[in-house]
Amino acid sequence: MQCKDFESVLASEGFGLLPAEAREHLDACARCKEFLADIDSIVAVARTLPAEVAPPDRLWISLRAQLEAEGLIKEQVGTTEHASWWENLVVWFRPRSLATAGAALILAVTVAFLTHTRNRNVAEQAAPPTVAGNPQLAGSENTSAPEETHLTGSGKSSAPGPPPSRVKELKPSPSENASTTLSETELDVSNMQLAGGNGNAKVDASLRQNLRTLNEFIAECEQHLRKHPKDELAREYLNMAYQQKADLLAAMMESGRSEH
Amino acid sequence: MQPMINPRHSLSVWTAGLILFASSTAIAGAPQHQERHFAVKHRPVVVLQNIVNGRIEVKSSKNSEVIVSSTATAEKVAVDVEQVGDRIDISASAMGSVSEPQELQADFQLTVPEQTELQLKTQTGLIYVEQVTGDMKLESVAGDVHLKEVSGYIIVKTTGGSLVCTLCSGKLEFTSISGNAQVSQPALTNVNLMTTSGNILYDGDFIRTGIYTMKSGRGLVEVRFSDNDSFDLNARTNLGTVDNQASDFLKPDTHTHHSVASRYAHSLFGTVGQGLAKVELSSYSGTIRILKRN
Repeated sequence: MQCKDFESVLASEGFGLLPAEAREHLDACARCKEFLADIDSIVAVARTLPAEVAPPDRLWISLRAQLEAEGLIKEQVGTTEHASWWENLVVWFRPRSLATAGAALILAVTVAFLTHTRNRNVAEQAAPPTVAGNPQLAGSENTSAPEETHLTGSGKSSAPGPPPSRVKELKPSPSENASTTLSETELDVSNMQLAGGNGNAKVDASLRQNLRTLNEFIAECEQHLRKHPKDELAREYLNMAYQQKADLLAAMMESGRSEH
Repeated sequence: MQPMINPRHSLSVWTAGLILFASSTAIAGAPQHQERHFAVKHRPVVVLQNIVNGRIEVKSSKNSEVIVSSTATAEKVAVDVEQVGDRIDISASAMGSVSEPQELQADFQLTVPEQTELQLKTQTGLIYVEQVTGDMKLESVAGDVHLKEVSGYIIVKTTGGSLVCTLCSGKLEFTSISGNAQVSQPALTNVNLMTTSGNILYDGDFIRTGIYTMKSGRGLVEVRFSDNDSFDLNARTNLGTVDNQASDFLKPDTHTHHSVASRYAHSLFGTVGQGLAKVELSSYSGTIRILKRN
């Protein structure tokens, strides 16, 4: 038997019992002895390696958050359930920039649309017949609270709201929609950050601190607007805060993406 | 029979190994400096994106070249610089997976021709720009932005970083959540400053026909004008107060009737001089202070 034949036997028969002819060759051949020793040591080292490690739960949460942010799935973020169809799909989203860009775009468009819609509603409220004829165009935030009595000094802003019975039929106001959308996105971002885990601490701390600042400010403005729904300055600041929050959440997504 | 090991030989091998290990560790953690020169023909555009920590300093020179000088954490931060025509793209990013991202740093010093367009973005470090004439967009998360003698259309966007703008001219836009804005001795024709919880201080002239808008959600908005100024003032706050310390110089507004703002008690309209510039100050719950410089 030649060395080449011995290697073939080893490849086909494995490391178990070698045929007699192969063992005879091994006894006589120093090269093959060395070769077999190398193989043995590799196998020994390989056996010391840990078994394949399952991905951590936080990874699935992060992927789910991305898919929800993109609108591909719409579920409550829960605990890990492996091997569903979408989990296999997320392999295609490994470059997180794709998911992040998509989510940020959706967020920006949503906020811009809602803000625009709200502004249009305010403008249309100035024309009483249109508002009365189309209650869906009137923001409910302007009708759910009692009418301000001291705002009619110029006589231009006293547009009557729709009848109380119709108020209940109104869809949620754009501001409420923006608030809800942003809150959902904030939850997704929190999940992504939990999943990321190893971000730049200083940057993350600043982003989170500023998110808290914005949330407090938004809550303050919203509370004020519930009492004074026609306070345009407060609404202007609320819309600016919404826009800033959308930008901040996009930055937080970007920060999460940069970590990986 | 056990082979004999010479203890002296063994010791020298260990020592060499330790030295090698220590030196490789030191190299990996030490900052790595590099400087590159790029010849440019016309107005260059410099784009710098630093996604690790670090400071960016930009100064101008008379030479038609862009010098990019960087100091970055060795073997952990990748600095890429690329030139396409008169555009220079610079980026700093973490190499691979890093256990301590906050330790990663890349500081930049750029020397550019006076007329250069800048687009700079960093995370935590200071952005400092001096004597550059050209449009610029500067973005930072937690780092401050200091501008001195810059001119052009200046856009500054931060999350928590503050802006200090001295002797700036042109058009200025500042947006921040908690950052402050301080504008001193400006020659700006168009100013738009907006922060949610930061303070705003504008100390300087209002150029005729200029438009100046300053808004702070919760912070103080303070303007200090001079004798020669000529502007219409509209100051409004929802829950704060308007602290008018220049009532002797403010005449009742002669141009428009602000029915909306007059609903709120905390508002002030007035004119200084002929009312040529337009100044709008507002705050949701902060104080608006109006002063005249001595």
